[in-house]
This record gives sequence, structure tokens and C-alpha cells, in this order.
Amino acid sequence: MLGIIAIALAIFPFVSDSRTWTILLTQIFIFSILAMSYDILLGYTGIVSFGHAMFFGMGAYTTAVMLKRIDPTMGTFILSIGVGMLLAALISFFIGLLTLRLKSHFFAMLTLAVSGLFLVLAEKWRTVTQGNDGFTFKAPEFFKDRIMFYIVVLAILVLVYIFLRRFVNSPFGRVLVAVRENEQRTRSLGFNPLHYKVIASVVAGVIASLAGSLYAVSLRFVNTSVLTMDITLDALLMTIIGGVGTLIGPIVGAAIIELTQHYLSGLAKDYPIFERWIIFFGIVYILAVIFFPKGIVGTIREKLWKRSTKKDAPKSVPKKEDL
Amino acid sequence: MELLINLTINGLATGMLIFLLASGLTLIFGLMSVLNFAHGGLFAWGAYSGIWFYTLTGSFFLGILFALITGLVLGFITEKLIITPVYGNHVQQILITLGFMLVLTELLKVVWGPNQMAAKVPSYLAGSWEIGDVLIIKYRLFIIFVGFLIFGIFQYMLQKTKIGLVVRAGVMNKEMVQALGINIKRVFLYVFMAGSALAALSGVLMAPYSGVIYAEMGFEFAILAFIVVVIGGMGSFPGSLLAAILVGLAGSYMAYYVPALSLAVNMMLMAIVLIFRPQGLFTAKG
Amino acid sequence: MTTLLKVDGIHTYIGQYHILQGIVFEAREGEVSVLLGRNGAGKTTTLKTIMGLTPASKGSVTFHGRDITKRPTYETANKGIGYVPEDQGIFGDLTVEENMKVAMRKEDEATLARQEYVLELFPDLKTYWKKDGGHLSGGQKQMLAMARAFVHDSKLLLIDEPSKGLAPIVIEKVMEAINEMKKTTTIVLVEQNFIMASRIGDRYTLIDDGRTVQAGDMQELIHDEELKRKYLGIG
Repeated sequence: MLGIIAIALAIFPFVSDSRTWTILLTQIFIFSILAMSYDILLGYTGIVSFGHAMFFGMGAYTTAVMLKRIDPTMGTFILSIGVGMLLAALISFFIGLLTLRLKSHFFAMLTLAVSGLFLVLAEKWRTVTQGNDGFTFKAPEFFKDRIMFYIVVLAILVLVYIFLRRFVNSPFGRVLVAVRENEQRTRSLGFNPLHYKVIASVVAGVIASLAGSLYAVSLRFVNTSVLTMDITLDALLMTIIGGVGTLIGPIVGAAIIELTQHYLSGLAKDYPIFERWIIFFGIVYILAVIFFPKGIVGTIREKLWKRSTKKDAPKSVPKKEDL
Repeated sequence: MELLINLTINGLATGMLIFLLASGLTLIFGLMSVLNFAHGGLFAWGAYSGIWFYTLTGSFFLGILFALITGLVLGFITEKLIITPVYGNHVQQILITLGFMLVLTELLKVVWGPNQMAAKVPSYLAGSWEIGDVLIIKYRLFIIFVGFLIFGIFQYMLQKTKIGLVVRAGVMNKEMVQALGINIKRVFLYVFMAGSALAALSGVLMAPYSGVIYAEMGFEFAILAFIVVVIGGMGSFPGSLLAAILVGLAGSYMAYYVPALSLAVNMMLMAIVLIFRPQGLFTAKG
Repeated sequence: MTTLLKVDGIHTYIGQYHILQGIVFEAREGEVSVLLGRNGAGKTTTLKTIMGLTPASKGSVTFHGRDITKRPTYETANKGIGYVPEDQGIFGDLTVEENMKVAMRKEDEATLARQEYVLELFPDLKTYWKKDGGHLSGGQKQMLAMARAFVHDSKLLLIDEPSKGLAPIVIEKVMEAINEMKKTTTIVLVEQNFIMASRIGDRYTLIDDGRTVQAGDMQELIHDEELKRKYLGIG
């Protein structure tokens, strides 16, 4: 099923010559990668990070700077992805080690602050980043054709999906879910939750950096916006609306949000109210958090699962509350 | 000397604005373990609604009053609609309040337009006094005065009244407060509304201080308030005053002496506190 | 004597754990009823379920003939049930005086008279009136917790292991106080210390694995060596 969709998407640019659609779909693929990486944290490990943009930005800047300073070739491009991922791995490892011991509130705030630091750094270090103005650069010759880039990004998306699916279905991934469900108990079973959380955050950071590298090349331009809270918010909205704790969810979420955004900003030319499209997502997001905490994919999956297996569980198990 | 005094007054004034924002945040967290990421939205709403009403009526005082009412009403709505449905689930709380922040910010643009809005200091607070060589801007002193006044009022309420006693007891042990016959959810609603009103007050006072207001100011300023809450200790009211002054002064001195570091210094301060003393410098005991 | 509190077949889950699986017991007016059982049998959870802190999913709790199973904790408290938790729940940053004040529903004469009365019972509290609750000794905390529940004008006091971690001489004082309070208030006591329980209890209820296994007169239990050995590990 998923294979068929992937193949259909791969053939798409050859049968349709809509440039807009090729670009839009490329964008969706890139954000799908980012959202999936975010879901490793939020959905599988139960960590709320408000600093995911820093890894995305790290990848974007590494690739942009290397393509501009060295040369715009495929080799440099691939090398820059590797360098970006390595940087992201190192930084997420150290940040994780220092902060993942903290409770969720503190962790969320600390990641917010650290990514804020990176944003400040990028704004001040103008010799390299040119601050908020940003800079343009040349993409490798091979990507001059948008369709080639489209295919490459799609292929990377498929690979990342397969890799992450293996990752979350592995014994390691199951421990992550156990950490999310009950950290105390996981610890008493002899697993060190910190160890697992740190590795999850490294994987998430590395994949986010990859998405950032692709994003920079897709625009052939980079500025500090890749490090802002908006990027983290996008990942968050996509993951929540699409469905946390599934890998398809974030992809669906990315598609929905990018498409709606595209459509609504088209409408905004006639009706200025649609410039505020983010309100719409904000409300959907809030409703999703309250009523469908599993998102679109999670909710559908649950419905199907319930229909096929009659669950024999106590009906009114009261939730453990803080009060 | 003159410079130092001015930098200090500057820092104190900023510190007081941050304190007004952070004090509500810290009480809400202390009492209900809710970290309200939408708090900055209430700040921005206070600024816009207050300045709008001030421009309409010509009275800054009425503007402040209107901002306070906006804060109370929005606080009530936020607590009922956003906070109550996800009591007890930290991850959901973080997610939902952040989402609400987004909605509040965008709604602001729908109501008052996406552009910046100018805000003037009222004539009776404009200008400055000259004491010796030192020029002291009146409005900054006014902010400092209001900050200490609010601190005094709240401190009195917390220490001397029954509701204050209940709030302090609730910060330490929620279960026990309920077992003594107190409806803590109602107490929490009051605290949430009061905290929101303080955020709105902070916003409307901030407006003439910075001269312009814009929708994203809530988010930018809220980060400072979060830093203050962490440094001061979650749930500690006096702690938030001291930490706010610290952050205000550090920002003010740094902006002058080491401008490159001015934005980063507070975040580094918070990171250090979180890593080495995650309970904050001042804490309410259980 | 009339039944003041009736617990009928309650089931309580904490998280996914089925802690109470059908607790039945009664507290009669003017008596001291003792809940006995091993560690982890469900005694503390029973008290918490009565208070609505860990709500029951099945069964009912009736107080004064009114169903309070689903009532929020504060309503239950205001109907006249006072709660002294195992950890005493003292507000550490509040003084003894302030701890008492939180518990007062009104500051009328009757309440102040009750406060006077309870301070006679625990003169230590008077001595440390302005001291922070967190700085009291274990015994003083226990006394403060009991005084606080009493001043709230409770017709029924739920006291969870008042002797835990206290020196014998302090236990003696606490027992005296319970005996004195008994004159005006019905008491439900959770107690591991059987000697203490047998001395002040009128009736007992034995709990094991979240279920009531036996209930009756304390005097009967004192002489029933087999029951004591089987469920309490003594005798």
C-alpha cells in the first residue's frame, strides 16, 4: 500500500508538468522527515522539546555554508549532510545528557532557551550567516532540474521512514515506549531511561538536521528563520494533527498542513482573513490535544483495531491524576 | 556614576515588568503544576487592549483598567477552556498552552491588524527629572513604583489573608488542602485570573516604555519570564521578584557593556540554574 | 448505636493496579474502628477512597445516610470527615497557627472553643505556636495533623497510622489524645501497632489483598490467636 503510493509519487512529476506541485510536494517530503524525527521524541519517547529547530537549522546552515564556501557539487552536498548530522549528533548528545534528567516542564523550557541561544548566535555571527538577511547559494548542477531533486528527496523520505520504522520496532524502540508509559517501572526493570532518552534525542536531532540540509537546497537560500520557533511549531502541529506515536501520522500531518497552508494563502489574496490561517491550525491543534490526543492516524488506527479485537478490559479505570 | 544610575533604573524598570509577568506564572505553576506557555499571549493582549482603550478615551488610567479587565476575562476563559480539560497530564498541558499562545497571538492580529501600534507615555508621566547630573525618566520610576506596589499588595494578601494562606498551603500540598474542605480548583481559577491580570498589566505598562507594540512581543517577553521563574524557583513569589530584578539588571548592564552577550546572558543564567539547581534559587518547601 | 460511615464493596484502581477489590466496613457513632492488615493490604487506599482522593470505580461510601462515593474531596471534608494522612500532610512553610487556620471553616466562637480544647490536649502546639510546621518533631507533626482535622469540626476522623515512627512515650501521648477525642468524635484508625490498636479500638476490620476478610469486636480478636497469626503475623 505505502509502496504503491511511493511509486505513484515517484512517477508523478513525469506525467504532470506542474512546477508548483513538484515544489509543493518536495516541501511536504522535507517536512515529513522533520515531523517524523520530532515524533521519535514526542510520540515514542514522550519528551516535549521546544528546540527542535536548532537541529534543523544546523543542517540547513551547514549545507548552505559548505555549498557556498567550497563548491556547489554533489560531493560537497553529501559531505555537508554528513557534517550537519555529525554536528547535530554531538550537540543533541551533550544537551540530552545534561537536560533529559529534568522534568518535562524544565526540559521544554531549557530546549526553548538553548535553541534561542543558537538563534542569537546565528544572528550575531554575521560573517558566516549574514544574520537575518541570509544569503543565497548555488545548488549542485544535478539539482538544477527540480524533478531530480524531487526524486532524491522522495527517496530519502522512504529511506528515513524504513530506518525509523525498524528503529521503533526494534527492542530498543520498545523500551522507548516503555519509558514513555512508565519511567519508574522501566527503571526498576533494569533499563536506564536516561540512556534511552539520550539516544532517542540523538536520532531525532540527526534526522532533523538531514531535513534542514534538504530544506536549504530546496530554497537555495538560508537565513535565521530556519532556527526560529516557527519551525519547531510546524513540526509540532504536523505531528499532533497527523498522529503521535505513528510514523505515517507526521507524514499525513505534513501533507495536510502544507496543502492547507498553500490553499489558504491562495485564498488570502481575496479574503485577508485567511492570512491568519495559523489560527485555524491552532484551534484544530488544541481540539486534537483535548479530544484526539492520538491525532488522525492514531484515532483511525484505534477505531480499526477496536473493531477487530474486542478488548476485555475494565471499563472505568480511573486515570491517575495530579489532584 | 550617572551612567550606572541610569542603567540601574533601566534594569529595575525592565525587571519589574518581567516580575509582573513572572509572578502569575510562578503562582500558577506552584499551585497546580501547570506551566502556562500562553502567558505571554495574555501579556500582549493586555498591551493591545489597554493601549486601544487609552487611545479611545485619552486616559492612560482607564487603559490600564481595561487591560486588567481583559486579563481577568481571558484568564477565566483560558482556565476553563484550555487548562481544565488537561489537568494532571503534563505533556498535554505543555502542548495545549503552546497552541493557545499561537491562537492568542494570531487573534490579536485579526482584531487590531498585523502592524505595529504606537504607544505614548501620558503627558503627566512624560519627561524626566534632573537630580544633579542625573536625568531620571519619570515613566521608568512609575513602573518601578507600580511593581513594588503590586508586590506589596500580593505579599500582604499571601501572608495575611485566608485565601493567601490557602494558596501558600496549596503550593506545598494540594491533597491536604482539599482534605481540609477547600475547593482547590476554585482557588486555582482565582489565582489563574489574578496571574493573567498581572500579565496584562505588565503588557500595558510595557507599551509606552518601548514605544511600539506588536503581536510577537508576548512570546519574546514570556521567555524572560520563564527564565525568571526557573531562576527564582517555581512557586516562590518573592523569588520571582528577586530573579526578575536580577534578569532586568543583567540585561541592562550587558546591553551597555557587552552588547553581544545581552541576549544570551539570561538564557545561560537559566541553563546554569537548571543544571545545577533545578529547583531554583528559592523554593517553597513541601 | 447508629452507623455513621458505611463502605460497601468498593473497588479502587491506582493507575492500572487494582488495589481495592471489595472492601466492606462500617464505623458506628462514638466508637473507634480499627482497620488492620499487612503492609500493602489496602488500608491507606481505603481511607483515601473514602476521602475521594483515589475515587472508587465500583461500590459505595455512605456517610450519615448520604452517598458520598463520587463527591469531590473538599465536599466530603465539609460534610464532616477529617483526614490525618500517613505523612501528616503538614504545610511546612506555614506556622502552627497558620496550619490550624487553613483548617478552620469559619473563625467563629465554636471553632475557637474547639481550638482551645484541642490545644489543651496538645500543649506542645501552644508552645510552638509561631514555629514553622516543617521544623516540628515527628510527634508534634502528628499532633498538629490531628488537631487540624479536629478543629475543622469533623464528626468522623480518619487517622492513618498515628504511631508510625514515633517514640513509645510519644505514642502514649497520641493514644491519650485519641481516647479524649473519642468522647466527641467517631474515629477510624489504621494501625500496624496491634498493642495500641487493641487498647483503644472498639471494633476491628481485617483487610487482606484489598478485601475485607473479617470484622467484629476488638475483644474477640484479642483472643483469636489463629486470626492474628494468619493475617497480622503475630501471636
